[in-house]
Amino acid sequence: MSVVRRFLRTPEAIAGTIILAALFAMALSASLFFPGDPQAIAGPALLPPFQDWSLPLGTDRLGRDVLAELFHGARTSLAVGLAAAAAALVIGAIVGTLAGFAGGLVDEILMRTTDAFQTVPGFLLALAFVSVVGPSLSVVVMAIALGAWTGPARVARAEVLSIRERDYVAGARVIGMHPLEIAFREVLPNALPPVLALSSVIVAAAILTEAALSFLGLGDPNRVTWGGMIAEGRTVLRTAPFLSIIPGVTLVLTVLGVYLAGEGVVETTAVRRSLS
Amino acid sequence: MNSPLLTVSGLAKRYRRGGKTIAAVDDVSFAIEPGETLALAGPSGSGKSTIARLVLRLIEPDAGRIQFEGDDFLALSGSALRARRARLQMVFQDPLAAFNPRATVARLLDDPLRIHGIASRAERPRRIAALLERVGLNADLAPRAIHEISGGQRQRIAIARAIATNPSLIVLDEAVSALDVSVRGDILNLLLDLQAKERIAYLFISHDLGVVRAIAHRVVILDAGRIAESGDARAVIGAPQSAIGKALVMATPKLHRTTAS
Repeated sequence: MSVVRRFLRTPEAIAGTIILAALFAMALSASLFFPGDPQAIAGPALLPPFQDWSLPLGTDRLGRDVLAELFHGARTSLAVGLAAAAAALVIGAIVGTLAGFAGGLVDEILMRTTDAFQTVPGFLLALAFVSVVGPSLSVVVMAIALGAWTGPARVARAEVLSIRERDYVAGARVIGMHPLEIAFREVLPNALPPVLALSSVIVAAAILTEAALSFLGLGDPNRVTWGGMIAEGRTVLRTAPFLSIIPGVTLVLTVLGVYLAGEGVVETTAVRRSLS
Repeated sequence: MNSPLLTVSGLAKRYRRGGKTIAAVDDVSFAIEPGETLALAGPSGSGKSTIARLVLRLIEPDAGRIQFEGDDFLALSGSALRARRARLQMVFQDPLAAFNPRATVARLLDDPLRIHGIASRAERPRRIAALLERVGLNADLAPRAIHEISGGQRQRIAIARAIATNPSLIVLDEAVSALDVSVRGDILNLLLDLQAKERIAYLFISHDLGVVRAIAHRVVILDAGRIAESGDARAVIGAPQSAIGKALVMATPKLHRTTAS
């Protein structure tokens, strides 16, 4: 309980939590408030916001309800952001732990592979991957994770390098524990906190990458995405700027919320670490 | 007479640092009989802990042989080495650093039983309770986290973990140095008690000759990686021949008074 209270003491954390809570509420209630297909035509085309209260944020070029699209888009953004970040963290933690713990040739191979991935811009990698494999939600998640696992891998390796010299790792060897069990049961859990501290940055970046992919038309075509909405609005940017501005602002707020909440978590755990 | 439990001969370990080669351990030989306590004493940097880690195969020697229970211990590798580790255990100096900070007492004692297939999953909680009792702890300590219990209790847990696999030899690397004096006596008594009951041999590493005299049968005094002198613990500590032996005895105030009188 006190952890929650300490977390909520910082204003950043409160702001981040509120934004994230609103976002999750949007994603979870999307099919409740807007049960139909958000891509179905709901009214006249290019209706400006706040004109018709059954369509509060107006309609786009094809007459689709912008608010419904926004709600359903929250789902995609969150799902892709969280799934891609989780995949990146898992891959990174495993690669980093193996490299740091095994050392020698295994370390060289894994870290040079990491270098190779790191030198290619993550977005380019995602772009290439999606255009080769074809756009679908799981491919987009994999494509984003492909460019995002190198950071966690490096942090995990650095932590593991220091942890593997500790007495308790020697103790685990003395009782005859298998090296893989030592790596993943004794070392990895203790190397995780700094790796997890990266998660908010990775989630935020993943949401942005997903939006950028959708903007370029490489998102899952069967799902509404904010990036796709911005791309839709781009063609009528002069006459109906709200079509790009509304999803754009939502995107900015989301990334900001994720980042602020992540900062709050890091702050809280840092305090707890220094206290213990 | 049977062959010794552990025979170390010509053991050497060198470290290269900035182009210079430093011999941490240089041509060290000794033997331990079953049920015997051999102490390795010496000042900081004399190679005591390096020898402990070499004997346990935590680091590999540059030269020398280690015979354990009649086999060439250095020839073992992989799963054969892990299986043999059940017979050769270790207790570390700092009982907090020696345990995974996330572990509970039960998990720490469960690991050796599980890894060496000593008890079935259903049977293990009883074995853990029995182990705790053997080292003089209450069985309801099992669900506690390792950082929640005292230093003395932690060192008892370390001993319980070491004896879980019925070893014939336990390496005690400064095992009582980090404990305060009142707890130290209790732990030494526990070690003597276990040795009397189960004939476990100890390789006891310490810089404190007072403790060495209380627990060891024989002592090897090290200086800069080499053996300075060795022999019966009381004889060596009572009348050290080497310069380093004399210095160590001088450094132990109580002993100095008794030898001076």
